[in-house]
Amino acid sequence: MKSFFITVKHDYLQRTRSYTFLITLCASLVIAYTFVPEPNASYSTIRIADYVGAYNSAWFGYVTAIMTSIFLSLIGFYLVNNSIKTDIATGVGQIVASTPVSNFRYLFSKVISNFFVLMTIVLLVFSMSIVLFAMYNAGFPFEPLQFITPYLVITVCAMFFISVLAVLVEVIFGKYAILQNVIFFFLFCSFMFISPKTELQYGLDVFGNTIVMDHFEQTVREITKSDEKTDLSIGYVLGNVTKAKSFTFKGLTFPISFIISRFLWIALGIALTAMVSLVFHRFNLKAPSIKKEMTKKVKATPFSGELDVHRLPHVEPNYSVLPLLKTEFLLLVRRGKKWLWLINLIGMVLLAFLPLSIAHQMVLPILWFLQAHRISGIVTKERAHNVHYLTLSSFLPVRRLFLSQVLSSLLLLILLAVPLLVRLLMLQDFISAAAIILGAGFLLFLATFAGIISKGKKLFEMVFFFITYANLNGIPFMDYYGGLPHNGVYLIKLSAFVLLLASVTFLFKIRDSEQ
Amino acid sequence: MELEIQTVSKKYGKDKFGLKDFSLSMDKGILGLLGPNGAGKSTLLRLVATIGKPTSGAIILNKNNIVKDPNYMRKQLGYLPQDFGVYPNLNAIEFLAYIAAMKGIGGPQLKSKINGLLEGLNLAHAAQRPIGTYSGGMKQRVGIAQALLNDPKIVIFDEPTVGLDPEERVRFRNLITDLANDCIVILSSHIVSDIDTIADKVAIMKDGTLRAHGSQEQLISKVKGSVFETTMNKATLRSFRENNLVVSTARQADDLKVRFISKTSVPGAIKKEANLEDAYLFTTKMNSTQFV
Repeated sequence: MKSFFITVKHDYLQRTRSYTFLITLCASLVIAYTFVPEPNASYSTIRIADYVGAYNSAWFGYVTAIMTSIFLSLIGFYLVNNSIKTDIATGVGQIVASTPVSNFRYLFSKVISNFFVLMTIVLLVFSMSIVLFAMYNAGFPFEPLQFITPYLVITVCAMFFISVLAVLVEVIFGKYAILQNVIFFFLFCSFMFISPKTELQYGLDVFGNTIVMDHFEQTVREITKSDEKTDLSIGYVLGNVTKAKSFTFKGLTFPISFIISRFLWIALGIALTAMVSLVFHRFNLKAPSIKKEMTKKVKATPFSGELDVHRLPHVEPNYSVLPLLKTEFLLLVRRGKKWLWLINLIGMVLLAFLPLSIAHQMVLPILWFLQAHRISGIVTKERAHNVHYLTLSSFLPVRRLFLSQVLSSLLLLILLAVPLLVRLLMLQDFISAAAIILGAGFLLFLATFAGIISKGKKLFEMVFFFITYANLNGIPFMDYYGGLPHNGVYLIKLSAFVLLLASVTFLFKIRDSEQ
Repeated sequence: MELEIQTVSKKYGKDKFGLKDFSLSMDKGILGLLGPNGAGKSTLLRLVATIGKPTSGAIILNKNNIVKDPNYMRKQLGYLPQDFGVYPNLNAIEFLAYIAAMKGIGGPQLKSKINGLLEGLNLAHAAQRPIGTYSGGMKQRVGIAQALLNDPKIVIFDEPTVGLDPEERVRFRNLITDLANDCIVILSSHIVSDIDTIADKVAIMKDGTLRAHGSQEQLISKVKGSVFETTMNKATLRSFRENNLVVSTARQADDLKVRFISKTSVPGAIKKEANLEDAYLFTTKMNSTQFV
């Protein structure tokens, strides 16, 4: 048992000492700050019809616990997944495979390590919720249990299950990074759409927020004396806050069945880990992690020493970016499995034939999200493949190579959107068409910026996942591609933002290449 | 063609130096850079290759300060880094065309140049296959090919023989000798035999500083008359090491044949011809307490 915890401890340390984790911690702190809006803020996070809760301990504790459960489940997956892939890349996996450690123990150590990583962030958010309570105190007493209880009952279980899911998805779909993202996305959406009707069914909600939300609604219905379902919103809703009335939420006593269900989720997670340990490759990577084509090694031939450099033809200077653009585009297209292009083609067909609003608002962000693994590596692939010393010593690397990387990604994203762009242009909807092109620019500059500051792909993948989820829920603030109806002012704002992001990215890129 | 490294330092953090007040100048020919792991060889080569900027000092190529104008160096540089990687999804032709574009070269002769390099390096048969399917030695040869694409005037090879078998090493050394007729070649290694047969000048580094620089004869002369060979049993070796710089040991029946450097002779020891390896070990270990 001691060796198990030593393994977990070192895995945890290795992961939390990364730059991505530090950035995630800072971002979590900022996001946690917004979970309970400042009393005069122009947005709300949880709102029941015209009501928001009075700022007492229970409201702070439960709202931040729910928000953490949902948002950290959403982005936390991307923070903790690929831990097995890291062991493959570093060669640690080969060492692990040669030890007596069982598949289950190895995978379970990954689950626990994932869990500790997520719980570190939860602890930070929890502390922030107490700080916020102290800052916005409206004269209510501090009740520690109202903070601790929702985190213990709701958030801990949700984080554990996400930790399990990250390992499960990686073991089963380890070969397909894109499928891991897609499967999790749909699993997450499915969990979110579960709407329990009875006390017993609350247990089916792994994120554990429905029981609290229903209690909020119930409290408001008692005030309004209404039997009808109340309009409840969760997420960042702008405006109309000052008119909101206040209700007092005093916390809730969780039914025993719900508490048991939380333990059952944990038990299910452990059982699922045990099940997948039966099919875990144990780093026997003859097939699973290497492309089939790559396993067909060419016949090795020795260097015969016949090279006469003086008889080779002389080359001429040519500073065109077109050859670079061509290869960068090839690298983007060839990334991932060939058959995944079939999904892209289906997406393009859907863009051509589905009703315009659905195609634009729903299909396009999903189709672009499917390219996350491609565009997240725009600037990180050089380090990942150890080609960076060659690129950094090349002629005008930022001006020529970086430009070609940006243009090739823009080309890819726009090509995927061509069916929709054609439809919009035929309808003379130039604002939407321009917004799509700007949206593609936004995405690739976000990917490059995140890649430069974090030196990895995870930060962008987390943010992109978060944004896509917001897009599918029609949150106007996150609409970077004109999916919702907009006017010219939106286009000007979007252009200015993309331009700003592009400028900052170029500055960071120059600074990065000079270091 | 002249390269001058003028009191270059590279500082990491508050007081950790990767390179300290390093000065050296060279012209056409092969400079062998020797030093133990962590001596600062790769740091120096990365600075010359314009991948990083020194904390202080200047690197002058033909009177141009490449710290301020790195693209002057980049136009005429061929560089094979120690941690050389490839994009596994590209084939050798695509990869070399990509590197050529990065170097800012092209023209109608590029294709035949790539084919010529691939043929000369015995990679033509695999040219259309993804580089991910190549053996380590074949990938290393792709690295050599990319370094030679732009008819470089300065060639930097950082530990180039990694992945090559003994025969390939010999052929590679011949290639470097051929190259050095009209350009500067800097070749780093911690294996003395990679350097001693081809280098015109040798620089020995340790702890980020230049410990010795000169022709092989000049360096060897420092240990001339101080290299001996003797036979002893295992038990006495430990105490012998405390007072002498042992270069190598070889098993001989129940005893050990020991080659060592000492300022004074040891009874029964035979004086031996000094070589570059003796000079290298003498230079890198002469501050240790082992050698008095």
